Amino acid sequence: MPTAYADFPYLTAILLNCVIGLLVILFIPGARQTAIKWVSAVCSGIALILSTYLFFAYDKSLGGLQFAEKLSWVPSLGITYFNAADGFSLPMLLLTGIVFFTAVLTMWELEYRVKEFFALTFLLVSGVFGLFMSFDLFFIFIWYDVSLFPMYLLIAVWGSTRKEYGAMKLTLYLLAGSALILPGMIYLTVQSGLNTFNLVTLMQPGLFTPFQQKFAFLLFYIGFGILAGVWPFHTWSPVGHVAAPTGVSMIHAGVLMKIGAFGILRIGMFLCPQGWQYWAQLMALLAAVGIVYGALVGLKQTDLKFVIGYSSVSHMGIVGLGLATVTVDGLNGAVFQMFAHGIMTALLFSSVGYIYDRTHTRMIGELGGLSRIMPVASGYFIIAALTGIGVPFLASFWGELLVFISSFRVYPVRGAMAVAALVISALFMLRVVQKAFYGPRNEKFAQLSDITLVLGIPRIILVAVIVIFGIYPSLMFDMIDTASIPFVNGLP
Amino acid sequence: MQWLLFGPELYFFLAVVVFTIMAMRPASDSRHEYFTALVLAALGMVVCLAGVRSDGVLFSGTYRVDLYSQVFKTMLSMGLFLVVCICTNLGGVNRKFHSEFYLLLFTSTLAMMMLVSAVHLLTIYVALELSSYSLYILVALQRRQETGLEATLKYFLVGVCASAAMLFGLAVLYGSVKAVYLSELVQVLPTVIDRPLVVIGLLLSLGGFFFKLAVFPFHFWAPDVYQGAPNQVAAFIASASKVAAVAILMRFVAVGSGGSTYLAQVLVVLAIVSMTVGNLAAVAQKDFNRLMAYSSIAHAGYVLIGILCMDAAGYAATIFYALSLMLMKFTCFLVLVMVAGNGGSLQIDQLAGLHRRSPLLAMALMLALFGLAGIPPTIGFTGKLLVFIAAMQQGYFTLVLIAMINVVISLYYYMLVIKAAYLLEPPNDLPALSVSPPVKLLTGTLVTAMVVIGVFPTYVIELARAAARFII
Repeated sequence: MPTAYADFPYLTAILLNCVIGLLVILFIPGARQTAIKWVSAVCSGIALILSTYLFFAYDKSLGGLQFAEKLSWVPSLGITYFNAADGFSLPMLLLTGIVFFTAVLTMWELEYRVKEFFALTFLLVSGVFGLFMSFDLFFIFIWYDVSLFPMYLLIAVWGSTRKEYGAMKLTLYLLAGSALILPGMIYLTVQSGLNTFNLVTLMQPGLFTPFQQKFAFLLFYIGFGILAGVWPFHTWSPVGHVAAPTGVSMIHAGVLMKIGAFGILRIGMFLCPQGWQYWAQLMALLAAVGIVYGALVGLKQTDLKFVIGYSSVSHMGIVGLGLATVTVDGLNGAVFQMFAHGIMTALLFSSVGYIYDRTHTRMIGELGGLSRIMPVASGYFIIAALTGIGVPFLASFWGELLVFISSFRVYPVRGAMAVAALVISALFMLRVVQKAFYGPRNEKFAQLSDITLVLGIPRIILVAVIVIFGIYPSLMFDMIDTASIPFVNGLP
Repeated sequence: MQWLLFGPELYFFLAVVVFTIMAMRPASDSRHEYFTALVLAALGMVVCLAGVRSDGVLFSGTYRVDLYSQVFKTMLSMGLFLVVCICTNLGGVNRKFHSEFYLLLFTSTLAMMMLVSAVHLLTIYVALELSSYSLYILVALQRRQETGLEATLKYFLVGVCASAAMLFGLAVLYGSVKAVYLSELVQVLPTVIDRPLVVIGLLLSLGGFFFKLAVFPFHFWAPDVYQGAPNQVAAFIASASKVAAVAILMRFVAVGSGGSTYLAQVLVVLAIVSMTVGNLAAVAQKDFNRLMAYSSIAHAGYVLIGILCMDAAGYAATIFYALSLMLMKFTCFLVLVMVAGNGGSLQIDQLAGLHRRSPLLAMALMLALFGLAGIPPTIGFTGKLLVFIAAMQQGYFTLVLIAMINVVISLYYYMLVIKAAYLLEPPNDLPALSVSPPVKLLTGTLVTAMVVIGVFPTYVIELARAAARFII
């Protein structure tokens, strides 16, 4: 794989920026809440700028790994600090930057234990950034766990609705995933006989026998699949999303679930391409079931956050289906969908968070006619809901379209199931929008003020991103092509 | 010049003499004894570090000084120093026994140092007994009679049984191979290891070390002792004494490793049972001391995984793991001693509101617990990773998988403790904990060490590898 080394360590700069932000927050006295929020906003802003810069500075004609940085870490074990960016990871880095920044802004009104909240958020996000840029199995695992364990406290302390149960369930499920991933990683490292954790070295074709690939891929698929919300390992996801505070829901549904899909892609599929092709049938089946199941269960929900939670299961199923097609189009659609879904869910949770803070309810039946009281806040939710349905010229549309086209070719029945489920999900999203935001005005909430322009900034950014990538999807597809085409062509 | 090899032991022996003299004087200010112990322990660390490169054989070949033993001696002196650091408030020990308390701590450390250097069956036995007897009395110093007495009796009875088994095993071993030096055993054992008598002798001899390490089925004493002993003693048992047990167990297993898979199979079973029993029992605990005890039992299982690999990588991983265990366990006990205050055991609920009462201690506790659970970026994860890599190289995939499942179980109860510290609020408003600057510094150093060695382990790994070469 062509590798271009960076003249300036941009990727490390993103990480260091998060770590420095974390340390600065730790040393600010907890009473100075505004200072903490400003530090968080500035640091997350820098992270966003850097990741946006990298997205556009990537040389698409060159392809391969760029901005690479390599440093021998533990020579005796073959561990290297190896960061790089390619067409798969740059969209994810951009997504993380956007969601991180908007989540910090969304939590601007937080007043309870502010210091710890932002410190833990920074820890979580450094893990996410690290995972997306790392090409060393040891570091990937470290970042994976770093991005998970702050979740427990973030949900249990600042959450709502059965928060302790949700937090414990989520953490145990996700770390149970890591109980499969770590043996898988060590297994491959040891079997290769190369004494290295370097992903690029381990990727050379023919290094692992077909049996080893099938075996290891299954471990990675289930391990990361838990985090990606693959049916039937998804049960932590709606519960956890509902329990989490708004900003954490945004990061969690927006970015963390993508880690799961990205892990399957980066580690499972890159290291075990034959294992991937062998298990693709199963992946497609589970993905299709997940899409249908998420849509159907979502129909019955009365809590707005549960609706979003189950639609996430459904949408992550689309990602899984795309990955299972083993085609360039499928991969492109899946990665695009990961990005689009991340932005879309962040917007959904962000707008629900505002509504919940004001009305103190998320029950669809109790909200009724909210768009007459808060037209702007409702507007954000409706835009996000429409994106989820897959309305053309909003970002998700392109991802879903590509996945469905390619899956129809490879798996006609499962593809048809998925499209049918999409119609159902469109139905239920529209029903939610109609019940919660239209209809007679609810006098109970008549006094509530609409979202101000300043508070709306994070939502405006998210809407803008959805529209930009909806109108100009090749911005993203050209990027993903640089990674997906060589990868699929190089398959054995 | 040869006596310089014995330097650390001589130094600790002199320290013991100092405390014997102090114990004979009429009762003085307790701070006096504390500072004497602190200075002596700190100097002890320096002495051990100075002698880390020495190499040689003493006492007609019964006592071997090499990098392996010296690394462990340094760890032991570090463990002693750390434990002495948290002795400012010896609430659990009667005032008039403070000199004796330090005296026995130093005696026990001295005995463990001899244990890690001993290469003769009888030397091993005598050193093991000396360290055990010091610990029996230390546990008995507990001021509160009923729990202290139960703990002492249990510890003593299980310990004596284990010693008896070990002595019997050593006798059987000697009877069948006619060798008492480990260097002789290494040569003889591979040829006869499939004889039932030798296997029985070897396993029974290991019993003594299993008792020290609290491996199933010699683990019954642990919960009661951790709960009933003065907290500082529990900290010492959990940190330093485990290090010594790991060292001697590894040396012994290395001797019996040649030629047969018998021993490895037994160790695999013991590792799995220890991990599972320890972790499952810990889930139900309400008392933090007991929880730490069960987590020790579980960790004994993880340690065994490293040892049963019986190769350089496995031993190096185990040395690293022993160090990580000592740091993490000690950090937990540091928090425990600070919060418990009166010297009794600590209920998990009593940790409520710790995040407000002392953010630093709460963070240290969280890191140490996540480390014990094996979550990166802590030293505990790196230790587990090394152990698992070593096991995987020997083809123990299932064992690693079971260990990882156990990690998930253990995470559940560690998170319950973290929940208590970060989520629960105490029923009546408790004041902030007064943590003195030295303790803050110590906590900060421990936290830094746990993270830095966890993320950047190269030097420690290289040291562990170099040390492990001496027992192959």
